[in-house]
Amino acid sequence: MRNLRNTPLQTLEGLGGAVTGSYQKGYSVIYQQMHELGGACSFLYRIFHSTRKITGYQSAITDQIVAVSTRAMSTIIFAGLFVGAILVLQFESMLRRFDAQSLLGGLNTSATIREIGPLIISFLLAGKVGAYTTAELANMRVTEQIDAIESLGTDSIQYLIIPRFFAIVISSLFLLAIGLAVSVMGSLLVADFFSGMNLYEYILSIPRFVGLWTLFEGFIRCSIFSTIVATVSTYKGYTATGGARGVGKAVTASAIYINVYIVVANFISSSLLEWIHDFLQWVTS
Amino acid sequence: MSIRFENVSKSFGPKKVLDQVSFEVKKGQILFILGKSGMGKSVTLKHLIGVLAPDSGKIFVDHFEVSALHSPQRIDELTLVRQKCGMVFQHPALLDSLTNFENLAFGLRTPQYQKKMGRALTESEIEKRVFDTLKLVHLEKDVLELFPNETSYGVQKRISMARTLAPQPEYLLFDEPTTGLDPLSTSSINSLIYELSRELNVTSIIVSHDMACALSIADEILFLDQGKVLLMAAPKVVAQSKIPLVEEFFKETLSLLPPGWSPSHA
Repeated sequence: MRNLRNTPLQTLEGLGGAVTGSYQKGYSVIYQQMHELGGACSFLYRIFHSTRKITGYQSAITDQIVAVSTRAMSTIIFAGLFVGAILVLQFESMLRRFDAQSLLGGLNTSATIREIGPLIISFLLAGKVGAYTTAELANMRVTEQIDAIESLGTDSIQYLIIPRFFAIVISSLFLLAIGLAVSVMGSLLVADFFSGMNLYEYILSIPRFVGLWTLFEGFIRCSIFSTIVATVSTYKGYTATGGARGVGKAVTASAIYINVYIVVANFISSSLLEWIHDFLQWVTS
Repeated sequence: MSIRFENVSKSFGPKKVLDQVSFEVKKGQILFILGKSGMGKSVTLKHLIGVLAPDSGKIFVDHFEVSALHSPQRIDELTLVRQKCGMVFQHPALLDSLTNFENLAFGLRTPQYQKKMGRALTESEIEKRVFDTLKLVHLEKDVLELFPNETSYGVQKRISMARTLAPQPEYLLFDEPTTGLDPLSTSSINSLIYELSRELNVTSIIVSHDMACALSIADEILFLDQGKVLLMAAPKVVAQSKIPLVEEFFKETLSLLPPGWSPSHA
């Protein structure tokens, strides 16, 4: 009721204040996002800087690779099987309209390797390994375990971060290979049992769409996404503050930032790889 | 050979935690840092080992300027400083994925320690050092195979102390070593700090609320209030101080002490 008694000038002032407030709020959100991105990039620089001088933690990297791979393997296999199956069902119904089912194998495999495989595996890694890593490191930070490690003269980046970082990046490539193989098997099963495809025809169409470049694209993309998962999850865990609540906040922030960065990186990498592919074709022709 | 703070200031957001703090601790001294909660006592210790960087001012540990070692390029020098200073944290801060033995041996197995020693210690040497250190904190060997969460808080505190002592640091820093302990454990830990400092002849800085202990074993006591050094003096002078906060601390402590008690250095 009070607002109704405002003069037009007061109303205008109020409106101006609201717009300015929204602008300031929007600016602060953008500032915070840029701050987070800058923090993650500077953390990545610290990781690579420490990697150059790493001494004695090579076995820890191997242990972490085994730990990360075994932790995520069952989920990757399970999800991979269904991803391949879903794609076959979707593509098959579309291709049937144009009587082009013979292209199903190639299209499905190409889409899986180039796009869906790296994306799904990275999202799964973010949930399964990224969240675990952030929570583990954040808990170590808030209980002063990281401070204690440093006070004993150990470089905590070398001891804690580098093994986890490289384990996530390296195992994601290994998991991608397994995930893609399972996904192709899943699609073969569905193509055979549910869509009544000729498997010979299905397999023959794969080389028409899938070449070395497709594999290269899939692995490059997977490396980029897993670097994002590894950087953000370790960064958010390592810089957590504020007790148990801080651990929860770090895990949530890590999950959100990883997913957002992966989607943005997917767009950028798709455009860049497409451009490079076209450029290489132009050079060779 | 000493620890020196020169006009050190540190803020967290708008809150100024340390404001132009200056003091010096000489070799072999026991310094107690007292003050109310949130007055920058733990922050002071964390600056010493380079876990925190000051906004302004300088911190020296022997000839190292710790406040200038925070760039990734100078991490090796910071590591050397950290090897000189063993810190016992407010909470035990044991690595919960390692057994108590592995926690104790942690500092002895790091590549940085091996570099300092010029070689890697053999397993039997590590075992011997772990057992020797365990004796210093009055613990039996049977706790070694347990994980930290399988032992009591008091035992975890002692293991944490032993972990700090194992690499034989030149300076010992204790951050509220008796917080969360029962009176018996508190008294036992206090005696232990005194024994360790005197027997090993290491310089010790102890952050605490325990005025009685400070008056009994400290060479000097430093009072921090609102991020500033209120007083730094021998226990005898502290006991006679007319500064309100110090008087308040002293009165509260006197009520807990036996009749006829006087500071050790009085």
